[in-house]
Amino acid sequence: MRLLHTQQAHEPQVDLLKTYDAVIVGSGAAGGMAAYALTERGLDVLLIEAGKKIDTTQVLHSMEWPYDHPRRGDMPSKFHALSRNEYNIRQPPYANGLGKYEKVFSYVQGWGGSDYSTSIVVNEKEHPYTGTNYAWVRARCLGGKTNIWGRLALRLSDYDFKGKSHDGYGMDWPISYADIEPYYDKVDLLLGISGVKENLPQLPDGKFQRPYKLNAAEVQLRTGLKKMGRTATPYRAGVTTDGLVHNKYRSKCYGRGACSRHVGGCDIHAAFDSPTGLIYPARDTGKLTIRTNATAHEVQVDPATGKAKGVGFVDTVTGKSYSVKGRTVILAASTLESARLMLLSKSSSHPNGIGNSTSGLVGHHFCEHLMGPHVTGLVKDLVGKPHTLDDGRPGGFYVPRFRNLTDKQPDFIRGYGFEGEGGMSMGPGNGAGEAGFGKAWKQHVRDYAGAYISMGGFGEVLPRYENSVSIDPVVKDKWGIPVLRFDYNFGENEKKMAEDMAVAGREMFEAAGIEVVSVGKNLLTQGWSIHELGTARMGSDPKTSVLNQYQQSHDVKNLFVVDGSSHVNASCQNPTWTIMALAWRSCEHLADALGRGEL
Amino acid sequence: MEQRTNGMTRREMLKAAGAAAAAVPLAGADVLAAVAATAAATHFFTPAQLAMVDELSEIIIPADDHSGGARAAKVAAYIDYRLAESVDDEPRTKWTEGLARIDALSREKKGAPFMQLSADDRVAIVTAMAAEESSPTTVEGKFFGELKDRTSDAYYSSKIGLHDDLEYKGNVLQEEYSGTDVSNS
Repeated sequence: MRLLHTQQAHEPQVDLLKTYDAVIVGSGAAGGMAAYALTERGLDVLLIEAGKKIDTTQVLHSMEWPYDHPRRGDMPSKFHALSRNEYNIRQPPYANGLGKYEKVFSYVQGWGGSDYSTSIVVNEKEHPYTGTNYAWVRARCLGGKTNIWGRLALRLSDYDFKGKSHDGYGMDWPISYADIEPYYDKVDLLLGISGVKENLPQLPDGKFQRPYKLNAAEVQLRTGLKKMGRTATPYRAGVTTDGLVHNKYRSKCYGRGACSRHVGGCDIHAAFDSPTGLIYPARDTGKLTIRTNATAHEVQVDPATGKAKGVGFVDTVTGKSYSVKGRTVILAASTLESARLMLLSKSSSHPNGIGNSTSGLVGHHFCEHLMGPHVTGLVKDLVGKPHTLDDGRPGGFYVPRFRNLTDKQPDFIRGYGFEGEGGMSMGPGNGAGEAGFGKAWKQHVRDYAGAYISMGGFGEVLPRYENSVSIDPVVKDKWGIPVLRFDYNFGENEKKMAEDMAVAGREMFEAAGIEVVSVGKNLLTQGWSIHELGTARMGSDPKTSVLNQYQQSHDVKNLFVVDGSSHVNASCQNPTWTIMALAWRSCEHLADALGRGEL
Repeated sequence: MEQRTNGMTRREMLKAAGAAAAAVPLAGADVLAAVAATAAATHFFTPAQLAMVDELSEIIIPADDHSGGARAAKVAAYIDYRLAESVDDEPRTKWTEGLARIDALSREKKGAPFMQLSADDRVAIVTAMAAEESSPTTVEGKFFGELKDRTSDAYYSSKIGLHDDLEYKGNVLQEEYSGTDVSNS
């Protein structure tokens, strides 16, 4: 079976003397989409990425059995993954005092199959940060976190874009769902998305390819929730299940399921990743130059005009400094790295950092999704039944938000959704936690292995001014670049919401006739969802926002920030699809404006 | 059938020992050091400890009518390898002390070290260790948790554990996805 065509074209080298139409910093979902959208419009684009190019087709080993790996997929012991407890008892920089390990990674490397992703995620020793506790997961390589993302591809709705109009908190986005809907559709069709249409106002449907199926435990939950007016829909995955005739780099999904067993990644690229979905197609236009191992540290400014003129970077390997020039500069380095770059880019024109003069809000209104509360249940009818193939999917199901839509909760505003899955996976599951040993225990594990179902909440953290990042005055990273300092905590709304998640999770399982085995109530460390957002929010007023509706700096009109920094609030839906839809919309505006000579 | 010693067949043990010896004549001190380093990195238990872990793991997950047990799945060798390559001393200490405690417990309760007990008495020792599984306080109680966790992890990621025992069906290419299509329900 031929799943992939991986032959790659000749790649042009970066030209330091040339002025590109656009210099993009970062190659994840946002940077990849910017490269795709701008080259499609014929612009001459330079993409710089701090990490190296990784051939994930080769490194991920998606179908390797655990017993064919010397450590059953685990990393070597000289590599350390931070544990949940370490985030509680230590303070950033988390690698301090862990000198006996060659590399220290975030908690995701504590998951199964972590040996396949060590080249994708960053070594905390080289990338310190300071301040309050935050589990910051970063991937520095071509494609960034899209190489291992969770693939849940959800749309936001006007409950999110017009949140303030709905409940009075925060600020409405400068766009509504109608503005972004055509771009969600374009993203769906370009990249492929799997799902079932549910006609829910809080979770708009997309242009779905064939859906994943639910296993027996999940069907039981869906049936039970329907009676409550709630929904458990098959995992809406940014995965092409029918294939994409216009993309030669990506196979359709064959339901192998390794994406949910490993830290992440798909070696046939059925799951979206930025390199095969966006960057290689952009490169094939002949209009894209890619410079990897380029760690940006400054947006450079023309002192005469105050406009951005390019980007300063150090070569990640040699440490040598370079500058590249662009008519426009597009930051897409991630919510936190783009904010860091803006704050680092101080000049006489922009003494508080580029794009931060009028509002002073860069780094503020930092928000994300809280995690922690979860419920595990047992479907008794499945105990002792022959095991079925239940896990050949990127995920199980999603329960969309149901709080504060038509109702008004007394203790908190906004809402949360649940992600979960049931059935048999590659291992004994919860059954192995049963007390005992010997033949009876072994029989118990076998009988109960496929009979459990569990789900965990993802809730909106409110965008508060005081939740922020700034530049640490002392600590620098391996390349001598000052690092971020976190000042970020959950508030009362998050705590009340988390309490409700645990209660509602139990209620839903009970309503579906699922015996509740355990309920987790504690919040996980800030950052756990890897959905950081909001550090350079959009708005129509330059005094209360950093960017306009096209993610264009109010202060510096040829500077755009097209990643999650621009989101006005976190909503409770996973952000990747919205990041790409917004970036596409903004880049079309950029191309039009550049064509008109406005930038 | 070949007689088992220490959970490995005699032939396997000789093979493992011979692999290091065979490499020696090829070069000088560098190779000797490399072989020594390799040996140090892949084995931790003494033969007696390895035999004891093999027996303990088989008591935790025994062979039954349905599938082979921890011994057939070579659980002890895998635990040995993971302990040997650890940069931390703490897990190794835990096992050295845990195994010593089991022998002490066996002497206290049954008058002989663990491996010299009858099969029933060995199970009785493990039963005593497991008595406080939900909230262990004693050395043996805590070690039971470690023993069971590592045995379970190793067994259920082995061929025998995944395929023969759990009859896991996934990690295959599917044209049609398994499960129930809920598009119209």
